[in-house]
This record gives sequence, C-alpha cells and structure tokens, in this order.
Amino acid sequence: MVSYILRRILATVPVMAIVAFFVFSLLYIAPGDPAAVIAGDQASPADVERIRQSLGLDRPFLVQFGSWLWHILHGDLGTSIFTSLPVSSLIAQRIEPTLSLMAITLVLTIVVAVPLGVVAAWKAGSWVDRTIMTFAVFGFSLPVFVVGYLLAYVFALQFEWLPVQGYTPFAKGFWPWLQSLILPAIALGCVYIALIARITRASMLEVLQQDYIRTARAKGLGQRSILFVHALKNAAVPIVTVIGLGIALLIGGAVVTESVFAIPGLGRLTVDAILRRDYPVIQGIVLLFSFLYVLINLMVDVTYTLVDPRIRY
Amino acid sequence: MDRRTLLKGLTGVGSLAATGGLSMPALSQGAEARTLRFVPQADLANFDPIWGTQYVVRNAAALVWDTLYGIDATLKPQRQMAEAEEVSDDGLVWTFRLRPGLKFHDGEPVLAKDVVASLARWSARDPMGLMIKAIQNDLVAVDDRTVKWSLKQPYPKMLLALAKNNSPCTFIMPERIAKTDPFKQITEYVGSGPMKFVKSEWVPGARSVFEKFADYMPRQEKSSWLAGGKQMLLDRIEWVVIPDPATAAAALQNGEIDWWENPIADLVPLLKKNRNVSVDIADPLGNIGVFRMNHLHPPFNNVKARRAILMAMSQEDYMRAIVGDDTALWKPLPGYFTPDTPLYSEEGGEILKGKRDIEGAKKLLAESGYAGEPVSCIVAQDQPITKAQGDVTADLLKRLGINVDFVATDWGTVGSRRAQKSPPGQGGWHMFHTWHAGADCLNPASYTGIRGNGDKAWWGWPNSPAVEKEVAAWFDAKSLDEEKVAVGHLNKAALDDVIYAPTGFFLSYTAWRKNVSGIAKGPLPFFWGVSKTA
Amino acid sequence: MTVSTTSPMQIPPGLVIAQQLPDLLLPSKVRRGVVGFLRNNPTVAIGGALLLCLVLVGIFAPYLGTVDPTAIAPAKRTRAPSADFWFGTDLLGRDIYSRVLYGARVSLTVGLSVAALASLAGLAIGLVSGFVRWADSVIMRFIDGLMSIPPILLAVALMALTRGSVGNVILAITIAEIPRVSRLVRGVVLSLREQPYVDAATASGTRTPMVILRHILPNTLAPMLVQATYVCASAMIVESILSFIGAGTPPTIPSWGNIMAEGRALWQVKPYMVFFPAAFLSVTVLAVNLVGDGLRDALDPRMAKSL
Repeated sequence: MVSYILRRILATVPVMAIVAFFVFSLLYIAPGDPAAVIAGDQASPADVERIRQSLGLDRPFLVQFGSWLWHILHGDLGTSIFTSLPVSSLIAQRIEPTLSLMAITLVLTIVVAVPLGVVAAWKAGSWVDRTIMTFAVFGFSLPVFVVGYLLAYVFALQFEWLPVQGYTPFAKGFWPWLQSLILPAIALGCVYIALIARITRASMLEVLQQDYIRTARAKGLGQRSILFVHALKNAAVPIVTVIGLGIALLIGGAVVTESVFAIPGLGRLTVDAILRRDYPVIQGIVLLFSFLYVLINLMVDVTYTLVDPRIRY
Repeated sequence: MDRRTLLKGLTGVGSLAATGGLSMPALSQGAEARTLRFVPQADLANFDPIWGTQYVVRNAAALVWDTLYGIDATLKPQRQMAEAEEVSDDGLVWTFRLRPGLKFHDGEPVLAKDVVASLARWSARDPMGLMIKAIQNDLVAVDDRTVKWSLKQPYPKMLLALAKNNSPCTFIMPERIAKTDPFKQITEYVGSGPMKFVKSEWVPGARSVFEKFADYMPRQEKSSWLAGGKQMLLDRIEWVVIPDPATAAAALQNGEIDWWENPIADLVPLLKKNRNVSVDIADPLGNIGVFRMNHLHPPFNNVKARRAILMAMSQEDYMRAIVGDDTALWKPLPGYFTPDTPLYSEEGGEILKGKRDIEGAKKLLAESGYAGEPVSCIVAQDQPITKAQGDVTADLLKRLGINVDFVATDWGTVGSRRAQKSPPGQGGWHMFHTWHAGADCLNPASYTGIRGNGDKAWWGWPNSPAVEKEVAAWFDAKSLDEEKVAVGHLNKAALDDVIYAPTGFFLSYTAWRKNVSGIAKGPLPFFWGVSKTA
Repeated sequence: MTVSTTSPMQIPPGLVIAQQLPDLLLPSKVRRGVVGFLRNNPTVAIGGALLLCLVLVGIFAPYLGTVDPTAIAPAKRTRAPSADFWFGTDLLGRDIYSRVLYGARVSLTVGLSVAALASLAGLAIGLVSGFVRWADSVIMRFIDGLMSIPPILLAVALMALTRGSVGNVILAITIAEIPRVSRLVRGVVLSLREQPYVDAATASGTRTPMVILRHILPNTLAPMLVQATYVCASAMIVESILSFIGAGTPPTIPSWGNIMAEGRALWQVKPYMVFFPAAFLSVTVLAVNLVGDGLRDALDPRMAKSL
C-alpha cells in the first residue's frame, strides 16, 4: 500500500508537466492580448507593442515555456502581468475563502445527502422516497446563481439573518466566518446534495437486495445496523467516487457562487485571469489544481480499499 | 437518522441564524462612521496610473496622488500643487512654482525634481504630453520649488494638459519611482494625495483599502472636481469589488456597502424605492457610444457604405438597449462632442436626425458596390455596453440585407483582433463597438478616436485630411469663438467621412445610502468632502 | 436483455424491492415489445413522454405562435407577461416566449450531445482502465490531468480561437465531463473484477475483451445510466454558467442558459426573465431523470433475475 501511494505521488510530476504544456499551448494559440487590455482603449498600436515587449510576450513559444518551467523548478510561480504581484501571493490570498467554502459545503453535503439517500432507498417506492427524489431533482435542475439569488433575497434581504455578500476571515471569529459562508455553501451544495443522495439511493438499492442483507435481517439485526453497518459500507464505492469528484468540482465550480456572493476566492481569480489573459496566473492556478486533483483522486482510491477490502492494487 | 434528531438539528441551525442578526463585524460606532465602503465600476487590478490607463486606475490614483493642476467643474484648469505659474512673452518658457510644505506619504517633502521626473514619465504616455515632448527644449528643476519647461514652439493648451482629468493625469510621484520606465509598472505606491494606499490589505480583484494621510495640506478654496481643497472627512475607504449587479443592489439596500459607483439602470427604480438610498446622475459629462468600422477593407472602405449605416441606424434603439427605459438617461447625438459643453456642435448631423431611411440606405449600400460578402462584427460578451450595442447592430445589418458574421467573443480578444490590419478573412475585422467617456470628448485634444490620420489613427484607421485640417485649426485657435468654429467644421467633416458612427449619448446613475453626504457629480467619484453619519 | 419468464416467486418477508411506482410489482404475464416495456415501466414512459414533448416543442417552435426570436425592439424592452408577449420581453425587447421555445433546441442539443459523447468516451476509458491493471495508472493519470483544466478556460479559449458557438460549448463541456464518467465506471469495474464469476470466466479461457463485454459491461450500465442523466442535466446547467461569464452560445442563438444569464441582474424586479427558462430547464431535467431512473430499474440484471 505504501509503495502504491509513493508511486502515485511520483506519477503526479509527469501529469502536471503535460497539463502545463497543454494549457500553455492553448493560451499561446488563443488570440487575446493582455498588453492591449493593459494599455487601455486610448493607447496607440506602438504603445501596445512596447508593453508586449516589456512583458516578454514577443518571444517564441518554446523560449517562453522553457523560461516558465525553469522558474517553476526553482519554486517561482512567476509574476502576474496585471498586478505585478507574485502569483504565489495572489493564490495565497485567495485560498482561505475557497477552501473554507469547500469544506463547509462538503460537510453540509455529506451530512445531508447520505442519510437522505439511505432513507430513500430503505423506503423505496413510498411517498418518502418520491419526495426526497423530487427535491433531489430540483436541487440540480436550478443553476447555482438562481438558487443563490433566492437564498440571498429571503435570508439576507428579507429576514436580515445573514450577510448578502463578502467573506469574513476565520481570524475574525468563528461565527462571523461561518455566517458569511452559510448561504454560499447551501447554494453551491444544492447540486451535490442532489447528486450524492441519488447515487447513495441507487447504490443502496442494489445492495439491499443482496442475500446477505436477507440473512442479517433473518438473524434479527436492527434496521439501523443493517442500513448503516452492512448495507452502506458495501454501497460505498460509487458514493465515495462521486464525493471525490464532487470535491474536485467544488474547486472549479465555485466560480459562480463566488461571483454572486462576492467571495474573494480562487474561482473568481481564475475567471478574471482567463478573461484578461494574465498567463502566469492562469498557469499557476492550473498547476495548483492539477496537483490537488491528483491528491484527491489518490485519497479516493485509498478510501476504496478501506471500504471494500476486496479491492487491491 | 430519525425524526427527533433531525428536528433537533434544525432548531440548532435556527438559533445560529438568529444570533447572526448581529452579523456586522465589531467596529465601534465611531470607527464605522469614518469608514466608507465603495463599489467601484471595475476591479482595481493594477495601480500605476501612467502605465495602465483604465478609468478605475485613474479614479483610485486621484485619491493617492495629487496633481500639479486640476480641472474644476467649469472645465477650467486651476492650480493644485502649483502655487503660481508664469509663461514668457513668446510663449516658449513655462515656469511653475510649487506650494510650500507639501509632503509625500513617506514623510519626504515634495521637491521640483520629483515634479520634473513625474512630468517626464507622464509626457511619454499622454497624447497631449507627447505633443509637448515633441516640441520640448528641456524640462528642469531650477531650485527646490521651481520647475522650468522650455519649448521650441508655443503650446497655449499647457495648463489644460496639466489639469485635465483624462487618463493619464499629472500625478506627482517621488523622483525615484517616477524614473521607472513608462512602459513598466511601478511597484511602490508612495503618494502625494490625501489618502494612503494600504498595499498590505490589497486583494486584487476583491478589495483595495485607503487610509487618511494625516500630513496632507489641502488648499483653502472650496473643492470642485480635481481643483480646490481636498478635505478628507473619512479615515478609511474600502473599495469592495462586487461583480454581480443584483448582489451589489442587495448589499446597498442592506447597508453592507455605502456607495455604489455604477448601478445598472434597470435596478435604479428598485433603489429609488428604498427609504435608505439616494440615487442621482453620476457624471453630467456622460458617455458616447461608439461603433467603429474598418476603413481599410471593403465594404466600409467606401464612404457611401459608411453613410448608409448612419442613414439607417436608430440611436434610440442603441440607447434603450444600453440604459433602458429611463429617457432622462440618454440623448440623441448628431455629432461627436459631449452635449452641454462649450464646444458641442451639431453641424453636419442631419443624416442622424429624423426618420430612419432603410430603403435609402440599402440603395446607397448597393451604390458602394456591396454585393453580399460576409461582414464580420466582433462583439465582446463580457462587457454589457458592447454586448448591447452588438445585438442592436446585428439586427440593423440584417434589416439592411448585409450578410453578418457575428463573432461573439470576449473583450480581451476584441482588444487584440481590432489591432489587426489584415483583411477580415485572415484574422481582421469589419466592425466593433466600444464607448468613450464624455470627459474624453470635450475637445480634440485627447480625443484619439476622432482623428483621421490614416495609419496612425485609432482602430479602424480612418483617413480624412479634412478632419486633420480642422484639428490643426483648433490647436491654433486663439479664442473660444475660434475654437467653436473649428470644432463645428470638424464635426461636419467627421460626419461626412464617417470617422465612426456615434450610437448616442448616455448617462449613468450613482447610488449611495442616505447617511452619506457630500457626493458631488463629476467625471470620476470624488471622495473629498464626503462624510458619513452612523 | 431478456426479461425473466419464470413464474412469480415468493417474496421473503422484509425484502424490499426497489420500485418507483406500485404497479411495477410482479407482472403476472410477460408483456412483450416496446409497448409492453413501456407499460412495465411507467417512469420511463412518463419521463420519455415529457422529453418527447420538449423535443417536439423545439422542432416545431416556428409553428407554435412564436415570432423571430432574434428580432429586437428596444422600445418594448422588459415588459411583463401580457397578451402580446406571453412570457414578457427581455432586455432588448425580444419575445421571451419565442426565445424559450427556440432555446429548447439548443439546450436539448447540448445536454443530449454531451451526455452521449461523454458517456461513450467515459465508458470506454473506465472499462479498460478498471479491468486492465497495467493500463490503469497511465489512463487515470491522464484523466487526472484532464480534470485539472478548468472547463471555463477551455470554453473561453475555444471561443477566442474561433467564435462562440454551440459546437464549442459542447466540446468544452464534454471534455470536462469525461473524467467523471470514466472514474465512476472504473470504480464499479474495480469492485466487479474481484467477483468469482469473473475469475471463472477468465479461468475457462474467455479472452479479456469478451470478459469485459459479457460480464463487466452489463453491470456497469446501471450506475452509468444514472450518471449519464446527471451529465445531461449538468451540461445544460454548465451551459448557463458559461453564458453567465460570457463564454456560452452567442446571443443570436437563444438557449435557456443565455436567456437566464441575460436576465439575471434584474431578477429582483423582473423575475419572469429568469423564471420561464428556469422552469423549462427544471422540467427537462426532471424528465431526463425519470427516464434514467426508469431505465436503471428496467435494465438492472439483478432486478430482472429476481423477478
């Protein structure tokens, strides 16, 4: 197992290199000139060209890529074209809000969705099941921004229980921090609660027909024990997979939530950088994401072995 | 989980939310009243006002740096950091004397050498500055408080150049910072203005923070735009970026922000209804919508095709698309200069007035030799103003029977594609949209968009000797009357050659909470004189 | 897929058979053919009917009382629903009813194309990766890499390279969804390959491709179908998110996503601009899910055998 984990971690390096190359090429081919955006509307073509040169954007592709790679290997993620700040500090500023949002959404999702799915599977066919599944469908049939607006309107504007926008850092206190993230977490989590509840239900249904469940019941085991100890563990593989994918998607999919609730996170940083063609920032973030995804997938794969001892690598 | 535990959990959440009523951070009453939270028109990604000339950078820079001269609400240049100026009889030597006791944010005094370095950097990027640089003999600091600028030819508009609010302005920085290459960003932000930029709290794309500079010496006169005494009644200003207009509206209604620079017109009725919010026109100088065509390639290299567009387009459609149903927010514009300003002219504007003539336009278009080739219109989807104009244009062209190739893209791509002079089939373009601030269209001085000097002109490269002649005439004009004549002819020449198609003149609102006072109308948000009660 | 024809068996007490609606229980006679299939599985029937309606609405949009969805009339912008404009008008005065009906074409095309393409690709990748041990690490590392490219980046880059179009949106979203499907399939295959019957099949000389096709594939279909319905719904929503940022389908081609994105700033004062496309989107997603659920129940071989 340990050697498996080590091998996986080593394997991240070529993956990240390939991703970096692919993204770099994509950005290089795609039109869009950060120098033009920087120079502003009133600038002359000569001005724009001078800015391009000072940014090093007129060098050939391989030279630019090589230079960037060289800096990465020395731990330097480069400097943002627009803000002249180091990419690493830009990312560091924005990590806390995004991670906090993700963590709270994840906790909320698992705590709500898994039990809902289990209950739905247990009472399959009854009104309980149908109600839960109908809510699940609505959960992911509405785009995040619609849900976000509704929540903000009801809970922030009308009842004034929670702030409409903004992020309060953890350092300013636990409750203010939590309050600034509740509405965004619910908005973002709706989709994942729906998905995980459905997968849990589908997976549990398969398991609940197994012979060993019948045996457990015949042995006189209580309902809760059957559901959570015997059935859920066996149903866990697809559920864990989807949770893992959900984490990965939360990172990327928080863009809209961060825009609607004005949370200064990585999602917005990515979109702003992409639309402005701030190449070093885009590359730095993609690199970070690829490393995180590899780690998350590794954790999911390890969890498989914990949950289903038959799986071996 | 059974029902009982579920309900227990819910009540727990409910009580949590109830205590959340006191969700504002624990600032004392006094501190709250001295902090203003402002939502700017765009994100402040960089902060070098000479290097990056976007409006939002200039607006923030106006807080942090002071200028040598400043324009006032009557559009006249007034002394700001300068105490007095002198121009020699032949108009070739300008001498400026600084006010005593001016300091930078690091405590150092403002000296003439700092002014010299700042003006040198400014004149390397600013259109009027470049004109002055071209005829410059030298620019020196005679002593600690005196600057001398000697020229080879007279430049009567010198004070206007130094006072204007169009980007870049003559922000005075310490010499060592001003010596940075004008095509590279500065990295230190030591200012000379009433507020300090708190770099440690800056989160580009999310928040910028400014704190009062205690040693700032404001002038004694009343403040008026960039002129007069900049008295700060606030200790701290936070610029909060809220990209979503619906959220910003909610935050303003909720009291989470105090001043929203640019509410979208459709949400203004909602804000007007709120008891705690005031709404008013932001800037009487407004904006001019711009529809530019490529003069280098067919069909728009033929003036008849361009005139056909003017004949058929409906400025009302464009304006309604941009600002909505509030008729107080827009005016038709049969010309290129800002309405209600001294040089405004409608000469030659008949083609834009009256009932629209689609049939006549189609005939004119046919006469120009257009035979159905695809015409590419690049439209940025991420800027609401250009997006709205693009949609209206697509419809207009369809009705004219033009074969439209609608390229929906983003502003970054538009920026690079419009610079391509190649034919449209090979990466070029036929049409794009943008807008100019009315403050930039007061006169031909900084108005790069109106020039017709072919290859050196703005995107679209119009070539119009008639326009250039009138621009030169304006620069040589000795009195306001002469200027008016020159601009009138310029307007007509520009319309005859269709330098670009103006889509109309539009204004925007600004909104603030009623406990904030001192908000003045102007081309940029002015924070001096603004105060807040708890 | 055969339906079991054995006589009804006794249900042991306490065993729960999953079902959506009561009349799925123990058909007393075999109902053959498509009609029979539909009568056996009402959820598929209802969902399929809804979906068919929406597809027909999209196809016959020009004949359902609509006007040109791209004709602007700025003088009539943001009007509330009325007899002239059944769903009101949008920011440029275009009729929202027409745009929503025409929008069905684009949104359904995007959703179904992405679901089909991503499922096929993901299924192939997941099967091979899960079953063939040495290929697993290589393929999964490649998938990891694919996942870390933000779909927005891909969509904006594609849009900038060519132009905003439906094809680019489909391509960008498909690439973003493939990793999910493949990882899910792989997860299922991983647990299936340890089953005794797989060992038995390999031991009796069945070649690997046949093992995959005969034994593994049928068991992956059920979770994959559920996932495919989710991918379809998610694709339609992602399309609206791309429109939110301005990298979606161009405004000359209405889709539910870009109608919502354009009207979103005004939802507090003019909610109908977001409500109608959102309602259509919800109904479509519901229909897609009903079909998916019903198909899952019908195709699950264990389910069929137990009947």
